[in-house]
Amino acid sequence: MKTSFVFSGAGGQGIMSAGITLAQTAIDVGKHATYLPEYGPEQRGGSAKCTVVVSDEPIVSPLPRQCDNLIVMNEQAYEKFIWDLKPDGILLANANRVKEAPDRDDVKVILVPVDDVALELGNPKTANIILLGVLTGATGIVTREIFVQSLTEKFGKKPDVLEMNVRALDKGIEIGQQYK
Amino acid sequence: MGEKRFMKGNEAIAEAAVRGGCRFFAGYPITPQNEIPEYLSWRLPEVGGAYVQGESEVASVNMVYGASAMGVRAMTSSSGPGISLKAEGISYLAAAALPAVIVNISRGGPGLGSIQPAQSDYLQATKALGHGGFHCMVFAPASAQEAVDVLYDAWDYAERDRNPVLVLMDGCLGNIMEEVELPPMKELHDEDLPEWSLTRRNGRDWQGNITPIYTEPILEGLNAMAGEMYKGWEEDDVKVETFMTEDAEYVVVAYGIAARVAKEAVLTLRAEGVKIGLIRPITLFPYPKAAIRDLDYTQVKGIIDIEMTVPAQMREDIELQVMGRCPVYEYGRSGGCLLDDDGVLEAIREVLEGGEA
Repeated sequence: MKTSFVFSGAGGQGIMSAGITLAQTAIDVGKHATYLPEYGPEQRGGSAKCTVVVSDEPIVSPLPRQCDNLIVMNEQAYEKFIWDLKPDGILLANANRVKEAPDRDDVKVILVPVDDVALELGNPKTANIILLGVLTGATGIVTREIFVQSLTEKFGKKPDVLEMNVRALDKGIEIGQQYK
Repeated sequence: MGEKRFMKGNEAIAEAAVRGGCRFFAGYPITPQNEIPEYLSWRLPEVGGAYVQGESEVASVNMVYGASAMGVRAMTSSSGPGISLKAEGISYLAAAALPAVIVNISRGGPGLGSIQPAQSDYLQATKALGHGGFHCMVFAPASAQEAVDVLYDAWDYAERDRNPVLVLMDGCLGNIMEEVELPPMKELHDEDLPEWSLTRRNGRDWQGNITPIYTEPILEGLNAMAGEMYKGWEEDDVKVETFMTEDAEYVVVAYGIAARVAKEAVLTLRAEGVKIGLIRPITLFPYPKAAIRDLDYTQVKGIIDIEMTVPAQMREDIELQVMGRCPVYEYGRSGGCLLDDDGVLEAIREVLEGGEA
């Protein structure tokens, strides 16, 4: 089973970090993963995109034309990549910046106001982890346990940051499970 | 079991270089290879090596010349435009019979081109990396793991031949993160320094000075020796992956990232019962001539060259081996536009259905 993910948004929204975290977590559960960042010449404020492929088998090609899951953090990313999503794929969009997803009726749409949810949790920077939580809850691509382990490896030296990220993950999983 | 890590291709190259004995790096920034110098800037000092960000590409490659002359395993990296600037220095390395490893993480061209990935430097790498008619062994890894394996052994080839080695990989593979298994650190000792190195000659024998300039007829003799060396590579050092070619009616030839995408298409088509295979050159020079020349052309109906550059550059090398015995088709993307699974599959299907790729 091979599953692909495209994450996109503005530089600074944690797009690349979300992609790497997902890929690393997939490897930690014993799967194979590739992560490909793509960026323009801008130093900041430009668009950010990355492609993650997760598979039970070693990955031959890391360059799918269309993805199974599209995660967009803003309207611009939605406009740019909505047609790169396979029919029957999952669109996960930040509802604070993507008001509606009118272009596709052949995909599963999950609109979550992640910016609001992150603010409620106390840190807007956790929006990307909430999205990964939603993805985990909705698709079961990785498990919560291994995800927490990956976060612990990353933030283990900063207990308060770790705790905040785990709370963001759990909140996301809780939302995602409604779309299972 | 080696040490497993999830790394960018560029970082894997840098770490494998260190483990393979690299102790000197000089370079100048250019996308999409910047993770190599960035990584080595902190990693080399950890192992007693030296890192220099040169004031230019020209300066950097000449620092490599200096370090190599002292017997140190030295390396530089760049991308297309920067490799062009280093061309003179690489030719001097070859003339002076100095080992070194040059890495080109290629991008769209010509000119400053684009910062996005492309395989547009094949001809430069294999035919004329600089003036004067010399060659380097050219390795084209197709994954972070293969890049590790190539870099780890690169100086063994370079020192054996006293000739620079080129590693050609596109910006896509340079930036992809994949799992790699790292080999242990090679233990190098002062007594392992090459006999010809200035470090060993210092104070005892200055006959063996190192120079990139000769007078005739010495130069003619060195040219002939180089020719013999290239022949030796063809006999001993060709590396190629052949995949499902035994009964194949169509054979895809692709290297590096293009070969990954092409192999996915071959697997898809095989599952549908299509008799198709893949030849993936791992060394681009020496080129795996026999793998293509010795196919059964009573069986093979077509060869499809897939490259992430337009027009295809490897095609000439393929056609020299096919010798008109079947049609050669090509498909590519270029200028920073990436190949993708569906695009390559559709192009191959068009050939199978009797059209052009």
